[in-house]
Amino acid sequence: MKFSNFILKNILRNKRRTLLTVSSLVVSLFLIITLATIITEFSRGSEQSNPLRLITRHAVSLVFVLPVAHEQKIAAVPGVKGVMKFSWFGGIYKDEKNFFANFAVDADKLREVFTELKMPDTQWKDFISDREGAIVGQKLVKLYGFSIGQRITLRSPIYDRSIEFMIRGICTGGDEKTLYFHHDYINELVPAWAKDKAGTYSIIANSAEDVPRIAQAIDSMFLNTDAPTKTETEREFAMSFQSMMGGVEKFMYGIMGAIGFSLLLIMGNTMAMTVRERTKEVGTLKALGFQRGTIAGLFVGEALAVTTVGAVIGIGGAVLLFRSIDLGLYIPNFQSFTPTPQTLVGAFVVSIVVGLISVVYSAFRVSGMTIADALRSNE
Amino acid sequence: MALPLKYNFRNITVRKSSTLATAFTIGLTVGVYLMVMSLAHGIDLTLSTSGEPMNLIVLREGSTAELNSNVTRENLNDLMYLDGVEREGDKPLVSPELITLIYKARKGMSQGSNVIVRGIGLMSTKLRSGFKVDSGRMFQVGPAEAVVSKRIADRFQGLGIGDKFRIQATDYTVVGLFDAGGKAFESEIWVDVNSLASTTKRDSFVSVLMRVKDQNAMSSLAKRITDDQRLHLKALPERQFYEDQQGTASGFLKALAVFIAFIMAVGAAFAGMNTMYAAVARRTKEIGTLRVLGFSRLSILIAFVLESVVIAILGVGIGIVLALPLNFVSTGTSNFTNFSEIAFNFRVTPDLMLMALIFGVAIGFLGSLLPSIRASRYKIVDALRA
Repeated sequence: MKFSNFILKNILRNKRRTLLTVSSLVVSLFLIITLATIITEFSRGSEQSNPLRLITRHAVSLVFVLPVAHEQKIAAVPGVKGVMKFSWFGGIYKDEKNFFANFAVDADKLREVFTELKMPDTQWKDFISDREGAIVGQKLVKLYGFSIGQRITLRSPIYDRSIEFMIRGICTGGDEKTLYFHHDYINELVPAWAKDKAGTYSIIANSAEDVPRIAQAIDSMFLNTDAPTKTETEREFAMSFQSMMGGVEKFMYGIMGAIGFSLLLIMGNTMAMTVRERTKEVGTLKALGFQRGTIAGLFVGEALAVTTVGAVIGIGGAVLLFRSIDLGLYIPNFQSFTPTPQTLVGAFVVSIVVGLISVVYSAFRVSGMTIADALRSNE
Repeated sequence: MALPLKYNFRNITVRKSSTLATAFTIGLTVGVYLMVMSLAHGIDLTLSTSGEPMNLIVLREGSTAELNSNVTRENLNDLMYLDGVEREGDKPLVSPELITLIYKARKGMSQGSNVIVRGIGLMSTKLRSGFKVDSGRMFQVGPAEAVVSKRIADRFQGLGIGDKFRIQATDYTVVGLFDAGGKAFESEIWVDVNSLASTTKRDSFVSVLMRVKDQNAMSSLAKRITDDQRLHLKALPERQFYEDQQGTASGFLKALAVFIAFIMAVGAAFAGMNTMYAAVARRTKEIGTLRVLGFSRLSILIAFVLESVVIAILGVGIGIVLALPLNFVSTGTSNFTNFSEIAFNFRVTPDLMLMALIFGVAIGFLGSLLPSIRASRYKIVDALRA
């Protein structure tokens, strides 16, 4: 600590250089945090899944629908607490740009199966009792200004139908960019091929031990029927969507690596210039009797102080920015845009490691020079 | 009077490590930009080259993709004998098509993606140049057989020759692998359209692909089909159909490329400024000497800017070398139009490299401007006394 003043003075000696270096660190760390958040938001669906929930879909792919008769049979499987039709409607609100998820569900079972959805009791009652009713997530209200009592029309290219709903409630929790409505209501309006069919079934189990058994029981029950099923935990189901991104995710890690490396170059260059310019001073310090380790330590301390300042501003700035502007509202398929604690800690660790590596070679070289060589330096 | 270029080059080589670090910083910025853009560009190129210039595709009015389109058998009969449809002998070059998706696990993973299974008519391969069976043979009409694109067979489990995959109650056997010159349907599995129709219990098609006689027939046929109130169909050039999908597939990546590149460029420009300020400070005396020798403030300014631009060009070179190995590397992601896999190659094309060069030089120029102005403003006496 007794050297902290010395380090601070040195940092402030070339204010412009310190400012430029810290700025570089700040923008690079901000970028790393942003990219890491894109990756973690992609996997939010599986990270926040309910371990007691399962999804049953057609064994071939989601394009194939399941008969509604499956519902009763699934409900009878031991360990199943509740089962609900859950069909992707693909409805478009006014314009294709307004993309948000909308599902046909069994309104009276939604609360039991999607335990994370929160809404006042009166709104639940209104929704369940109105066949044409729909409920919207809080974020859709922010985006499109929906209000209770409003009539909206969704046009579904999948079903080739435009259907009108009345908004009966605003829910929070889960994916707040989703709209839910009654399966019974659209069942009468969709074309013949989609009548009495469900895209998937969402199932809630009594306990964690029941989960694997339920999946197996359902799939073997329908194995040799017209509509064989594949039942997965909600987490696996979400992961099957993430996996569609394919090579892109790995690629993003590569990009982050490249940014980290450029951070190292920027910092390394600054520290190399700084150390070199002070070669003569190192000679003086040595002549005064300072040990090699102390001198090297002073440079390392300086690098760490600079990177720490950069990290604090970059990480703090990213947190503040993403807290004040929810990018998740504007990116389709993203529920939110919030850096995870792991991302923030990771960014801090990266900056410390960069700070250390950037200075090690220069500090070691210069502090090892003889007094005469150092003093004779013409830097 | 300008300083000789030799002066710049000499100076660049004096502080090798500093020059290299700066060049590498710019190189990484340019390289990352190139890599992300080459990914987006690969998707775009795949989609923009997929449509044949003389093909028309017919879909249901109001559908946004083949997956939610519907064309009935009566529609097909109406379409086949329209004026302007090209014929081979007395047979119209028309292919009714049906698609569905099957979920397949990627190689080495438990999860995967949807792959398009396309039922094609007899004329289909004649409507798609570049299609050839690479190994094995073409499927026969009758038995449940399929040909799989080589790229899809490479990326997913259980789609090699001899493997079987199940759709509803039918097991299709893969009998051949095909290649299609990098087009979008190189991400597909092909089977006979009537077989797929009975397998999926569907009595209609999703689209009809037709070859038209000439450019005039192209627009008149498209208009005629789209305007016919009875049909409820829309017809558009196959080229446009694929080009329209570019935005959904590559838009996010392009936005990402610009965002990353802009922020990295700011960081690189700051780093470049540091290097140039240090160079200016170190050469203060030298600058004084040059001024005494009669070089103007402007030529000093130009010399330092040029020095930085040269470093930036070196950086662009490094960036291109970093990104170039990705060229033609095959990868795949989801084409959100059909929620299915699209396999494609990274493409680092000359126009992307030119963009990278402009981008890198801009970083070098902006990064050096302030330090160079500072250098040109030194008073001769002060500079010499430094």
